[in-house]
Amino acid sequence: MMRRLERWKVGKMEGAVLLLSILPSFPLSAQDSQFGIRGLGTPGRFETVRARTTGGALGPFDALSPLSEASLADLPQLTATAMGGTSYRTADVAGGGGATTSFRSTRFPVMGLAGPVLGRLVLAGGFTTYLDRTWDVRIRDSMSLRGGMQPYTDELTSDGGVTNLRLAAALRVSGRLAIGAAVHVLSGSTRETATRTFDDTTYHQVRQNDEVRYDGVGVSGSALLDVLPTLRLAAFARSDNRLRARLGDVVTAQTDLPTTLGGGLRWAPSPSVRLAGAVTRRSWADAGAGAFNTVSWSAGLEVGAGFAPLRVGARGGQLPFGAGTTAPTELGFAFGTGRAFSQGRALLDLGLEHLRRTGGGLSERVWTFLVGFTVRP
Amino acid sequence: MRGFRAAWLAATLGAAGAVACVEQATAPGSCPTFCPSGSITVVDTVLRTSITRDSAFRGYVLAHQAGAMVATEAPGVDSRAMLLTSTLISPDTTTFLLLTSDSVKLTLIIIRRDTSAHNLMLNLYQLPDTIDSTTTFADVAGAFSGAPLRTVDIDALLAKPGGIDSTTGDSIATDTTTHRLILKVKFDSLQLPYVAADSGKLGFGIRVGATTPASVSFSTREDPTSGGSTVTWFMKVDSIKGSDTTLVRERYPRGTRFDTYVFDPPVAPLDSTLAVGGAPSARSILHVTLPRGIRDSSQIIRGTLLLVPAVPARGAPVDSFVLEAHTVLADFGAKSPLVLDATRTDTTMIRVGATDTVRIEVTNLLQFWSADTTRPAVILLRSQEEGAHPSEVRFYPSKAAAYRPSLRVTYAPRFPFGVP
Repeated sequence: MMRRLERWKVGKMEGAVLLLSILPSFPLSAQDSQFGIRGLGTPGRFETVRARTTGGALGPFDALSPLSEASLADLPQLTATAMGGTSYRTADVAGGGGATTSFRSTRFPVMGLAGPVLGRLVLAGGFTTYLDRTWDVRIRDSMSLRGGMQPYTDELTSDGGVTNLRLAAALRVSGRLAIGAAVHVLSGSTRETATRTFDDTTYHQVRQNDEVRYDGVGVSGSALLDVLPTLRLAAFARSDNRLRARLGDVVTAQTDLPTTLGGGLRWAPSPSVRLAGAVTRRSWADAGAGAFNTVSWSAGLEVGAGFAPLRVGARGGQLPFGAGTTAPTELGFAFGTGRAFSQGRALLDLGLEHLRRTGGGLSERVWTFLVGFTVRP
Repeated sequence: MRGFRAAWLAATLGAAGAVACVEQATAPGSCPTFCPSGSITVVDTVLRTSITRDSAFRGYVLAHQAGAMVATEAPGVDSRAMLLTSTLISPDTTTFLLLTSDSVKLTLIIIRRDTSAHNLMLNLYQLPDTIDSTTTFADVAGAFSGAPLRTVDIDALLAKPGGIDSTTGDSIATDTTTHRLILKVKFDSLQLPYVAADSGKLGFGIRVGATTPASVSFSTREDPTSGGSTVTWFMKVDSIKGSDTTLVRERYPRGTRFDTYVFDPPVAPLDSTLAVGGAPSARSILHVTLPRGIRDSSQIIRGTLLLVPAVPARGAPVDSFVLEAHTVLADFGAKSPLVLDATRTDTTMIRVGATDTVRIEVTNLLQFWSADTTRPAVILLRSQEEGAHPSEVRFYPSKAAAYRPSLRVTYAPRFPFGVP
């Protein structure tokens, strides 16, 4: 086995580094959803592939997931990670004559670097998608113009999103308690276009575009407490102030962002088995009309602590933006595995996630292939 | 273990392949539930006071400078074409002395004719070789009052095999590229004798006739496509080749040195109306003031210039003409240089006798000014075939409050980007 690992050593290590090096050339954003078009966008998940394939349950305990900072305290060495995912989504609109529309998108939502710097102090930095605002909507309609009805096709697009730049620090205070805090800078932009094409070409095409820039800040804190040697409790909180949209130097919108409160429990009955559950509440209703407070839950299992663990999990909860008087709901499951190379210096995680979102007459089904790379030089 | 590694490799490559797929994210909008909150707004408005400082000027293209000359026989319009051929001088008067003519062939190129007119006849007259740009309809009325030199029935000639009349020597053919008719009319030496004192210069006058009002346009020497009419002399010359003094026939082609047309009644003098067309040609200049909200902050998707004729468009009913709306490079009033760019030119057809409001789509011009606000917002109206027809239209100016020129603009204000 060791001989085989030695044979993998150079090629796989270089391959992993090469893959990590090309990742930043892609747009950094998260999976999108039609539910986010009407609101601020689709919130990103602050989870690595490892956490996501347990339904997000391991998120508060995973050192590389940007959900909780306290978990960084257990990071033994400098580590870089990145993940990508391709989503295949189908959407059914009630009253749409049974028509199903298919979508496909590729995202690279998490990238980070973390490592101990001074004794037990661990610092981390990285990017995470905070809101995805990539969509393209086509609308067919007509209007009365110059004494006649003029059919037209509108196409409204937005490409981009808001990225969360995080600088985090964590400290293991004692053998049972670790704490962490982070400062978040929200930054990003969307390239937006609005096009109207009339069937009657006497009317020229309306085509307008602009670039909208976004900014905001947030702070977060978290703690991990080992209640028992096999039982770990996590608590995390985050407060973001507001998201400011600008066109040039003009502020066009200012939207309050949510406060996040959450907790989790992890039980490790043996070194190779971890069971976890987490609950998170976000006050997205602060964002204004059409937004809802959300509560989401997750439960997951990771088996195997060696070079090829297996993971499975489920998640459920609500989405912050949607039509109607109640928040859309989301339910999903995920599973995955990982593989360590070069004596654990390079990690490759794979996962498959299925989500079903419903609300306001819209139903979405999403299959997402997840790939994560972690390098410990 | 090898199988396990192979499965890992396959899974990794599969996942990488999935990640590399092209994005496809266009969604049918289910509005307003799952559409963006903002929407495109389109506004249609009539700007009644945006056209100001309008005036008309005449004299841009004179009848003899036009690319066509028109012969019309219609109620209210009598127009006759005239041309003067070049001189006929032998290159060598010693060995090839011109004696007499055998025959003359006149080639006329018909640009446009009224195909609905039956028994279309061309009457060809000989005019004095003194005609010039100052010649008026009255000056040549006498020459046209006599019997014509020749009369050619265009319809009958077209009906003949190959378009050739072997009796008269006339022929007609269609240029398949330009769809113009090339008419050749033969005159014998009795009809057109060679007069050495005139150096072979010939003056022709053309009148049309038909069972219904008719109008025919001929190419002139200013027409870049064909270069106008030509005449070919078939001469008898005194040839001395050694001891041979036999008379031989020589062919001498010549072009025209002048061509024009005269018409009655003459164009009325300019008044306060906005005149376009006629000969000499008239142009009208209109200054446009677009509201800043439309010019600077909106996207114009359609603009229509509305003009109300002050009198019915004048001319022969078959002589409807195309009116062009141009903009100018710089605003120098009557002498403003035109922007001769097809993408910056809008057109409409003017029907003679009609009094309906004339609508010209000027979207191209309005967008041009919106894109570059340093450009002078001036519309210059002219006939597409300037000076080539006597037809003319006159519109009410901005001084006539009830019927003043106006702009109907359809535009889209700025989309509310940046609003969630």
